[in-house]
Amino acid sequence: MNSPSDIIISAQQIARQVPALDKSGARKAIDNNLHILNGVDLEIKSGETVAILGASGSGKSTLLGLLAGLDLANSGNITLAGVQLNELDEDGRAEIRSRHVGFVFQSFQLLPNLTALENVMLPLELKADATAEAQANSFLHRVGLGERLYHYPRQLSGGEQQRVAIARAFVSRPAIVFADEPTGNLDQETGRQIIELLLEINQELQTTLVIVTHDEQLAAQCQRRLLLENGRIRENTK
Amino acid sequence: MNQLRLAWRLLKRDWHVGELRILLSALIIAVASMTSISLFTHRIDLAMNDQSGRFLGADLLLTSPRAIASAITDHAAQLRLNISRGMAFSSVTVANEQFQLAHIKAVDTHYPLRGSVKISRVLYGEDIELDHGPAVGEVWPTARLLQQLQLKPGDTIELGEASFTVTAVLKHDPGQASSGMSIAPRLMMHIDDIEKTGIIQPGSRVSYQQLFAGDYQRRQQFEQWLTPRLNATEKLIGGRQGSPALNSAISKAEQYLSLASMLSVMLAGIAIAMAANRYSLRHFDQTALMRSMGATQGQLVQLYIYQLLYLGTLAGLLGCLLGYLAQQGIILLLADLLPPELPPASYLPLITGFISGQVTLFGFSLPAILRLKSVSPLRVLRRDLTPLPASAITIYGLALASLVAIMWWQSKNIMLTLIVLAGTLLSVLMLGIVSSLLMYISRHLVRRFTGPWRSGMQQLIRHRKANQLQMLAFGLSLMVLLTVLLLRIDLLNRWQAQLPEQAPNHFVINIQPYQVAGVSDFLKQQEISTEGLYPMVRGRITEINHQPVTDIDHAQEDEALKRELNLSWTSAIQTNNKLVAGRWWQPEDEGQYLISLEQGLAQRLGVDLFDEISFQIAEQKLTAQVISLRSVQWDSFQPNFFVIFPPASIDSFPGSFITSFYLPQQHKHKINKLLKQYPGLTVIEIDAVMEQVKAILTQVTLTVEYVMLFVLFAGLMVLLAAIQTSMDERIHTAVIMRTLGAQSAYLKKTQLVEFCMLGLFSGLLAAAGTELIAYGLYRQVFDFEFSLHIWLWLLGPAASMAIILFTGWLSTRRISHHPPAQVLNA
Ligand SMILES: Nc1ncnc2c1ncn2[C@@H]1O[C@H](COP(=O)(O)OP(=O)(O)O)[C@@H](O)[C@H]1O
Ligand SMILES: [Mg+2]
Repeated sequence: MNSPSDIIISAQQIARQVPALDKSGARKAIDNNLHILNGVDLEIKSGETVAILGASGSGKSTLLGLLAGLDLANSGNITLAGVQLNELDEDGRAEIRSRHVGFVFQSFQLLPNLTALENVMLPLELKADATAEAQANSFLHRVGLGERLYHYPRQLSGGEQQRVAIARAFVSRPAIVFADEPTGNLDQETGRQIIELLLEINQELQTTLVIVTHDEQLAAQCQRRLLLENGRIRENTK
Repeated sequence: MNQLRLAWRLLKRDWHVGELRILLSALIIAVASMTSISLFTHRIDLAMNDQSGRFLGADLLLTSPRAIASAITDHAAQLRLNISRGMAFSSVTVANEQFQLAHIKAVDTHYPLRGSVKISRVLYGEDIELDHGPAVGEVWPTARLLQQLQLKPGDTIELGEASFTVTAVLKHDPGQASSGMSIAPRLMMHIDDIEKTGIIQPGSRVSYQQLFAGDYQRRQQFEQWLTPRLNATEKLIGGRQGSPALNSAISKAEQYLSLASMLSVMLAGIAIAMAANRYSLRHFDQTALMRSMGATQGQLVQLYIYQLLYLGTLAGLLGCLLGYLAQQGIILLLADLLPPELPPASYLPLITGFISGQVTLFGFSLPAILRLKSVSPLRVLRRDLTPLPASAITIYGLALASLVAIMWWQSKNIMLTLIVLAGTLLSVLMLGIVSSLLMYISRHLVRRFTGPWRSGMQQLIRHRKANQLQMLAFGLSLMVLLTVLLLRIDLLNRWQAQLPEQAPNHFVINIQPYQVAGVSDFLKQQEISTEGLYPMVRGRITEINHQPVTDIDHAQEDEALKRELNLSWTSAIQTNNKLVAGRWWQPEDEGQYLISLEQGLAQRLGVDLFDEISFQIAEQKLTAQVISLRSVQWDSFQPNFFVIFPPASIDSFPGSFITSFYLPQQHKHKINKLLKQYPGLTVIEIDAVMEQVKAILTQVTLTVEYVMLFVLFAGLMVLLAAIQTSMDERIHTAVIMRTLGAQSAYLKKTQLVEFCMLGLFSGLLAAAGTELIAYGLYRQVFDFEFSLHIWLWLLGPAASMAIILFTGWLSTRRISHHPPAQVLNA
């Protein structure tokens, strides 16, 4: 449906600010806001792999949350898969996420009480997909965990847990996968393997991949790199 | 369909999580306690009916001055009830040229339908129990009649135009109560012999009696069919009118049981609320994750409601099963008392128990669970985003509403419901205030301590919120447990006191005024002690405040107005009576028409102090003013009266005296001596009934103990939930302290101090709350005297310290055994 040149995400002049808090946690005077994002413009084409770089606290996760429709911007427009996010209510955005979006997180976020297989099945089951188990099974094989279907997260190493999370992100065949520092909790070698896996599967499924990271090496493997600084985006050509 | 499956899978996977087990167990306990107790009360009703059956010789007795219509017996036969026909009338008996008026009871071959007839073959011989009356041609007079006619078994007695052989001496007729306290000596004969005697002529005063017995449901069906068809002269007796003493004991037991059931539901509710809250807190991540995957709020609500439905159904079914089994256990305990063929258990208590369980579950957990709906999906990126807690009004309002609904529905006793709720709310308020106060004091005292004492107290203060919550939960459940324990002790003491070894088991009536001195002397001589001889004049209440009682709507149906009352006079108030309003006689009141009225009757008749009541005594009418109200301990087996006059006011009316005393089995012959000396007296033997009452009380006691277990378990669930909740935080702190290098011995001491203080505070609070609730209950529901209980103030703190220390030790043990990192990551 999406040809590579289609623009799948576009953002114009998005700003996000939160009321700044003083030491005691009480709100400060009215105009004393913390401006996290300050007029971000970006366009991401379908099938692209994009790295968003930036120092810790620069607002990368905030931007990711906005682009994925988890949060609402204070101003500006975001279009995801052809739909204006701020024109939707929360259930409408949920619908978009369910159809088009997958996530990989720094802390894996697997449900501890579910087996690897059940964790991967979850997004499909929420969509009442009758073939959830078969699909989850094949994806786990794809990420090299065919022998660990019935293991619980605590029985898996960090790298293995992230593989399960990757399988879960892709199993519903989303158009876009957002990854927030997917290697942040892993050692370098494991992190490298995880990135390879992510890019490989992304390639196979023609998914758009947006990775937030402050790891230069990882970013180097992406087609585009964007740098977030002072609340704005700068394109970083190689 | 799919959502149902997903909900089930998620629930199943959470199964090993502690709070779900607590939630489920608490709910099971609540349902089991509700179902077993209402099943049991239903059965007690049956037992009571059976009990009164032994007084009537049947389950139901229909009396009429005219022959009873065959339509009635036909209908009873259709319902397959057992039927017996009888007649009662007064007639002259003749022997040895002596005449004696006797109370004749004619029975058919089916008599008695319940209980048994006791006779002896010779005068004052040994009792023989029979399940039938005399055969055709035979009669069984009482010893008194035989004495008066100078007869012995084997002799002949004349009745009207026929003569009969005396084949036995009648000792006890189970249907005696139905013929009232007749003054004449009695005789039992076969109904087929009546015709021969020619006594019954048109216009004779005869009471036609029809007895019915059968299983509970048919009997009820019959009663419902018959009651509207009765005319004014026909009377149906049955149900619980049997024994007031037993009634009072059983109704107290039933009140206790419903209280216990309410409290266990309330405790279970609290445990459920705490567990649901913890469940909710621990599912923020899962919920945020599912929302990031595109689950809508509606979908999540559906998912969690399905989970509640699963839990509710499971707990409901298990609870009903457990309740049914528990009730079967109770039945086993009561096996001796219940009719051998019990009707099938009614399913209603199971259904209401199940539904009440669902109401409890949703009422107490819904706010916490629905909070999950508002978890922000952004939480997957920012862990610190937690949804706003549900508003206090929603949480408490819903819980309270469901509690009231259930308690009221289950107990049908609004007073009890209100007292329990008010007591609980007051206690929670008090617990809240006092625990804040204790915290405040600790904060100011903490500087005076050093070492582990100091850091222990600091911990207590630092975890103020959690600790206060725990104190509240702990204090409350302990309070409930102590209340139930206290009540049980007092209830049993009371029963024991009420049925002391020497409780009166014989009544003597018809003592004529000129015999009073002689009978007193006789009793003294025989070393039989009594509370005294009470005068008795029969009279009927005709007017209240000069308005005929037949015109007073609320009063005219009262039993006390339909028959003659025994009026009495005394100078001093009886020991088992208590003045509740007005004043007792002064010397100058003697000879005046003043009365002291029993408070229950006063309430039913709507009579207050200084109102005037008119009586018809013999041929005369008199009006007396109420100047005091008394509470009467009806279950004392002493002669008691609704209406008492001052001395010298009504003693000119014809009357007789009554007394009661205790006589052991081996001294029974003294009665014969008494009757020989005073043939006109009537002795009512209730020793057999007393034995039954004692047996029932023993069994009910067992049941009460049994039911306490439910409350105990429910209380335990709250304690566990409270500990679980507070331990999460406590373990975290302890681990951090260890990471910072605290020695584990030091940590242990610190914790010991904190737990001890927590236990002490909650225990003291519980003791105070218990006294408060007991005060209300004793005064309003159980009618007991209240006094402070020292042991509560010792047991409360000791028990709560022990429990907190033990469970605290169990759950913090792993901190000292495992490296900090492992615990932190878990
Ligand atoms: N809702 C919020 N309330 C207060 N501060 C926020 C909120 N969201 C983000 N921040 C702050 O904004 C800054 C950027 O956060 P984040 O996007 O997580 O940065 P990054 O992911 O690049 O490390 C941080 O200082 C964070 O504390
Ligand atoms: Mg971040």
